[in-house]
Order: sequence, then C-alpha cells, then structure tokens
Amino acid sequence: MSAQPAPSEKPLFIPVILGTPRQGRYSEHVARFVVGEMTRTPGVETQLVDVRELPMPVTGAGEDIKDPGFSELCMRADAFILVAPEYNHGYPGLLKHVLDTNLKEYIHKAVGICGVSAGGFGGTRVIQNMLPVMRELGLVTIFWDGNFSGVRKLFSPDGALLDSSYPRRIEKFVKELVWMAKTLRYGRENIALEP
Amino acid sequence: MDGDEKARVSPDGRILCPCCGGRMNRHAEKIDRGADPARADADLDGVVAEFHTCPACKYVLERAARP
Repeated sequence: MSAQPAPSEKPLFIPVILGTPRQGRYSEHVARFVVGEMTRTPGVETQLVDVRELPMPVTGAGEDIKDPGFSELCMRADAFILVAPEYNHGYPGLLKHVLDTNLKEYIHKAVGICGVSAGGFGGTRVIQNMLPVMRELGLVTIFWDGNFSGVRKLFSPDGALLDSSYPRRIEKFVKELVWMAKTLRYGRENIALEP
Repeated sequence: MDGDEKARVSPDGRILCPCCGGRMNRHAEKIDRGADPARADADLDGVVAEFHTCPACKYVLERAARP
C-alpha cells in the first residue's frame, strides 16, 4: 500500500463575503459577528469581503469582468461564508453578479451560508434559493446554516449582538464548514479524477 | 469559463504549476457549453474543461481536456 501524504497543516483561509451593498444593511452586523467567531477558530484565517467595495461594472458579466484582487482571494480561499440577506425571498442581485465573475477559483471548495431576515425564518428562503447556484459554481454546501432572524432586534445600533444563543449556533456551523474545507482541500490536492 | 491555459507536463503526465513548478492534481472536469462549437465534443455537447490544483501554492489551472 502506498503511503498517503499527511493532511496539510497550513491554516485554512475562509473569507466572509458580505453580500449586500445597501445603505443601513443589518447584514453587516452579522458579517462582522461571523468574522469575529472565525477569528477565534484555531487554524483558520479569515477576512471580510464587502461586495460594496469590489469594482464590478454592471454592463458586463461573468468572467469577462473578473476583478484580479477578488479572484486571487478566491483562489487562496479553502472555503467561503456568504452572508446573504433575504430580499423578496431572493438573494441580492449584486451578490450573484460578484459570484459569477469566477469559476475555477471555487471548484471543490466548501461554502456555508448565513441567511439574514427581518422576519422569523432566518433567511431560510434565500439560503434555499442559493443552493443551486452554489452547485453550478462548483462549490460544496454544508448541512448547517447560519439563520439570523429578526435582525433589526438582534443587534444594537452599534452592532453588538443581543442574543447570547448565537455564538453556540455559529460554532456548530463553523465546525462543519472547517471539516468540509479540510476534507475538500485534501481531495483537491491529493485525489485525482480517474483517467 | 476562463480558457485554455498553457502549462508544462511532467514525464509521468502531471501538469506542472505555471506559478511555482509544483506538480498539480487534476481533480475536476466541467462541460463548457459556451465554448467554440467547432471544438466541442459531439457526445457531450461542449468542450470539456479540466481543473488542476497546485498543492504548493494553491494555483488552479484550467485547460481544455486533451483527447
């Protein structure tokens, strides 16, 4: 039996993508909270990516308008967390526009989605709507979600979390994502398609 | 998709990373239905793109599958 290479000891890089550019967005509080939790996770490096800050023209689409900095970040990533508010049961158009600018950078990488809603369902409908998009981009979804319900009451105006149950909920989500990220990294680096 | 990147190939058929020279791992394929129809695989209705990851520097290379 041939020796298997040891799993990589390199830290995982898991950026958090804040998926809405709107003024007054509560999702920014969610994204900053998630980044904080990721920062405390051993063996993980993270970074907040704000779609508002990405230079994406709206007169083109897909890989024709790739932003080199964003593509490089996606190439370096081992997994992604998307923070997606639910707008009329769907996802923000700019988030889809941004995600569509890459493909090879995502393939066989893990993704976890945090849904955000003003109502009581924690963005479950936006998460469900994003799943087929994730699949087509080559991303691998996990079976934990982040569900942030009643977001206007969940954070103080300056972004402090007001519900103490969320850190434990997100810890479970992060553990699943880290497991999937490690597993897929091993696969990308060591397991070849059959000839 | 991103196109047909050029790369050197090791004697045992592994793609060598254009960034660091590391041996890449071919772990995915996808049909590109927007590619030039003249190059399409008739059975699969598109060009097969293959994806290789470099364990050393994380670069991902995309190229059209060779027959």
